[in-house]
Amino acid sequence: MLLQLNNIYKWVNSGGQRVFLLKDINLNVNEGEFISVMGPSGSGKSTLLNVIGMLDGFDEGEYNFLDESVHNLKEKHRATLYKQYIGFVFQAYHLIDELTVYENLEMPLLYKKMKGTERKALVADALDRFNIVGKKDLFPTQLSGGQQQLVGIARALITNPKLILADEPTGNLNSKQGEEIMDLFKQLNQEGVTIIQVTHSEKNAAYGSRIVNLLDGRKV
Amino acid sequence: MLKNYIKIAVRTLLKNKLSSFINITGLSIGISTCIVILIFVRYEDSFDGYHEKAEQTYRIVQHTSLPDQTLYWNTTAYPLAEALRNDFPDINLVTQTAGPMRREFSITNEIGENQKFEEPNLLFVDPFFSKTFDVVWLSGDSETAFSDLNSVVLTEHLAQKYFGVTPANYATILGKTILLQHKDPLKVTGVIENPPGNSNQQYNMLIPYEFFKVNNPYFSANWSGNYQGTTFVVLQNTNLQKGLENKLASWKKKYLKPEDDRRISYFLQPLTEIHNETLYGSSISSYTLPSTILNTASVVALFILIIGIVNFINLLTAQSTARSKEIGVRKVLGGKRRDLIFQFIFENSLVIVLTLGISIALVGFLLQLLNANLSIINLQLTFVWQHTGLVLLIGVLTIVLAAIYPAIVLSAYKPIRALKKKVQFGKTNTFNLRKSLIVFQFVIVQLFVIGAIVVALQMNYFKNGALGFTSDAIVVTPSPEFNKLDVYRNSLLADNNIAKVSFGSGPPMAVEGFQLGTNYRLPEQSSEEALEAEMKVVDVNYLDFYGLQLLAGHNFTKNKEAFDEFIVNETFLASYGWSPEEAIGKKIQINEGPATIIGVVKDFHNNSLQHEITPCILLNWTYYQNNAFVKIKNGSSATLASIESIWKRSFTKAIFNYHFLDDSIEKEYVVERLISKGFGVFSILAICIGCLGLLGLMSFLVSRKTKEVGIRKVLGANLLQVVTFFTKEFIGLIAIAFIIAVPFVYYYINIWLEGFTHRISLAPWMFMAGGLLTLGIAVLCCSFQTVKAAHANPINALKEE
Repeated sequence: MLLQLNNIYKWVNSGGQRVFLLKDINLNVNEGEFISVMGPSGSGKSTLLNVIGMLDGFDEGEYNFLDESVHNLKEKHRATLYKQYIGFVFQAYHLIDELTVYENLEMPLLYKKMKGTERKALVADALDRFNIVGKKDLFPTQLSGGQQQLVGIARALITNPKLILADEPTGNLNSKQGEEIMDLFKQLNQEGVTIIQVTHSEKNAAYGSRIVNLLDGRKV
Repeated sequence: MLKNYIKIAVRTLLKNKLSSFINITGLSIGISTCIVILIFVRYEDSFDGYHEKAEQTYRIVQHTSLPDQTLYWNTTAYPLAEALRNDFPDINLVTQTAGPMRREFSITNEIGENQKFEEPNLLFVDPFFSKTFDVVWLSGDSETAFSDLNSVVLTEHLAQKYFGVTPANYATILGKTILLQHKDPLKVTGVIENPPGNSNQQYNMLIPYEFFKVNNPYFSANWSGNYQGTTFVVLQNTNLQKGLENKLASWKKKYLKPEDDRRISYFLQPLTEIHNETLYGSSISSYTLPSTILNTASVVALFILIIGIVNFINLLTAQSTARSKEIGVRKVLGGKRRDLIFQFIFENSLVIVLTLGISIALVGFLLQLLNANLSIINLQLTFVWQHTGLVLLIGVLTIVLAAIYPAIVLSAYKPIRALKKKVQFGKTNTFNLRKSLIVFQFVIVQLFVIGAIVVALQMNYFKNGALGFTSDAIVVTPSPEFNKLDVYRNSLLADNNIAKVSFGSGPPMAVEGFQLGTNYRLPEQSSEEALEAEMKVVDVNYLDFYGLQLLAGHNFTKNKEAFDEFIVNETFLASYGWSPEEAIGKKIQINEGPATIIGVVKDFHNNSLQHEITPCILLNWTYYQNNAFVKIKNGSSATLASIESIWKRSFTKAIFNYHFLDDSIEKEYVVERLISKGFGVFSILAICIGCLGLLGLMSFLVSRKTKEVGIRKVLGANLLQVVTFFTKEFIGLIAIAFIIAVPFVYYYINIWLEGFTHRISLAPWMFMAGGLLTLGIAVLCCSFQTVKAAHANPINALKEE
């Protein structure tokens, strides 16, 4: 068992009323799964993903990640936990515009205080694996959306995380680019990476091994 | 990792060229101004500190107690030094100087031509002078240079001027002769370095004091008068000062007449304090700058630096919201808060170091500008390696204030909010701080602006205030030979461009420190009851020439060898409580002799406007009519040339020079002009930095609110409404700043004004003008960006989301 959500509630107070963003969510995720979270706009997909990614808190319930009780952890420890095990892929790629492809890939390794030679080897591997060696000295703005997302995924994977969280990874891409990215995800999953993705598209959701449907913060 | 940070820093700087430019310019103006002011303060504070024995050296100053006041002198009786040397063998060194004086010289050069020169700063010194003060000898022997009566030691400046020698050839002029006052031969026995600008003693040649003593036996033996003698002593250590002052109190009766002994007391003034103490004043060749002004200047320096830093912080935190994405990404990818704090401190420090570099270059330029513009006080400011400490200190202070704070703010962003760009301008706590910083900044800006307005008005008052006499279009020339005055006057009046001519000891207002003094009393009073007055020798045309108004009595009819008539001013009458009419016919005794009051003139400013009008006695003496006053109809060079040629025909011995009375009067306000210029420059700089900040904030705000502007325009907002939408908040902040600034500026400017006897009165409009001026410039600055935003096509703005 990779992670387990038990009766998770999250709300905000708006005009004296409690508005639920997540309501009684229960979810078990095993290693090697590829889960698609679906639902209309405002159904709480991204919120759920952020809670799983520990970027956002919740108000009630239990969250266990690799036998750690996340709900009992202080924020600092949560951060350590997600930095170690989770890789993020964003709809808007979120590459740093002032850094080249190579430098963007290198950044997570710098924060891990990895040695230079090791870093070089890992970045070279990643460039190789995603077939972007030729692009390594370009800046993100010089790349197409699909290429940028490729770099985003490569960056998420470079620290070898147990779990990839992807928030509408193909949302800003055209259909061909989107397909390529989804193929890549499938391939990664087959190599053993656990993936949770948020998506609008039935087609993309079909790549996963399991679909979780949300409506107004509830699992349906 | 550092490499990564440097890359990011450099690329961010280059990407946002406008904001980088504003950040760096604002801060470097702040830093360089601060450094320049501090260098100036240190320079002004360093006067005479370079002498090896500076700490133990004292100037003997004199207090003269009169029935109604105490006079403070930096000059003492000439025989003082010798008496001290004889009676107090435990004083390390005692040295006597006379001067600096203005004298003329002639030199016969190689080809037999006779050249004439006039030198303002000739100093008579005894052989102990160069042991007391650090004099750098370039040629000649310091031990023997003053042993012969008829010797002269020239400064480099004069050596080059008189003999055209290069520094390598100074030795070749030793033994050459120059003629003092065209008659006394003096042999050059040495060449010394020019005294540095930060010395109270600005001499350009040294002549043995013995020479002065031999040629002025009366003055140099007189214990009653203060002429131009100054005595310096070097003590074994500073603890002995009080002891020596006490000893002098009982010792002086050995030499002073009993009535002088009761009036006169001697004190020791540390050499290094001379320049910053106005009570005793400086040597004639130098000036004093009170330490209060230096302290104020230091505070101003700090203020300007702080405005620059505040600006930097404000802009940095504002611009950083544009970097929230990067912050979010870095956090998600494993960056700890620590890492981000370090990154931003490093990045900001890099910018600050760059700014420091630019500032230092700017400092060099500003110092040159300052030296050139303040030539009136002989500034010699240079940037030397000793100032590195200062720069480092300012750099560290700037980094602590301007780099660390924004780093802490930025690093605190929550990753998920940062990624969604939810950290918005105006929605976080930092905004309130930003508002306070803007207010703080503009409080200082308005302090400067209002201060500058008031100081400028006071200066204007000095320049144009009613002096009680006319001072325009008056040329002053020397009149060296008393028996030729008539010739000179008549020749002048023959010129159509010359309206009036008068002679006297000086113009109505004392200029260039020159004023004759005397004591006066009723004939039946003892000399101890005598009071101090100014004595002015004038001729029969003087009252008419300067438009001085008689309140009672009549004018002089003739100048006499033995004067017999006085005209006094109103202030004089106050000492006896007379009305103008009562005074006529009264007999008065002054040091120089008795005479009868025949007239009373309305008070005129016989001292510069910082000071009170003092009792003044005009007398019809033939002596001391050293100056000719020439009223000209037009100031063309032809008229001046005509005066010169007439002068040269009339007088044969001396050297012609002239000055306009207006210019000399203006020179009385050197320090005030310095303050006025300073305020002017600093208020401009403060406004510049402040407005650069506003410009930066505005451009940022505009870019953040493009969408809102788009919506407003689609809904029908016009240009003015959009501009108002952006500027109204800043106008409010500046108004708050104005309200805070007014009491401060009122308090401090009042203290400054109270230092002057004759001053402008503060009026509300001066403050309002300052506030409105600042507001106007600020709004103009804001509009620049907002008008652009308001003109943009709303469709483009709305498409972005």
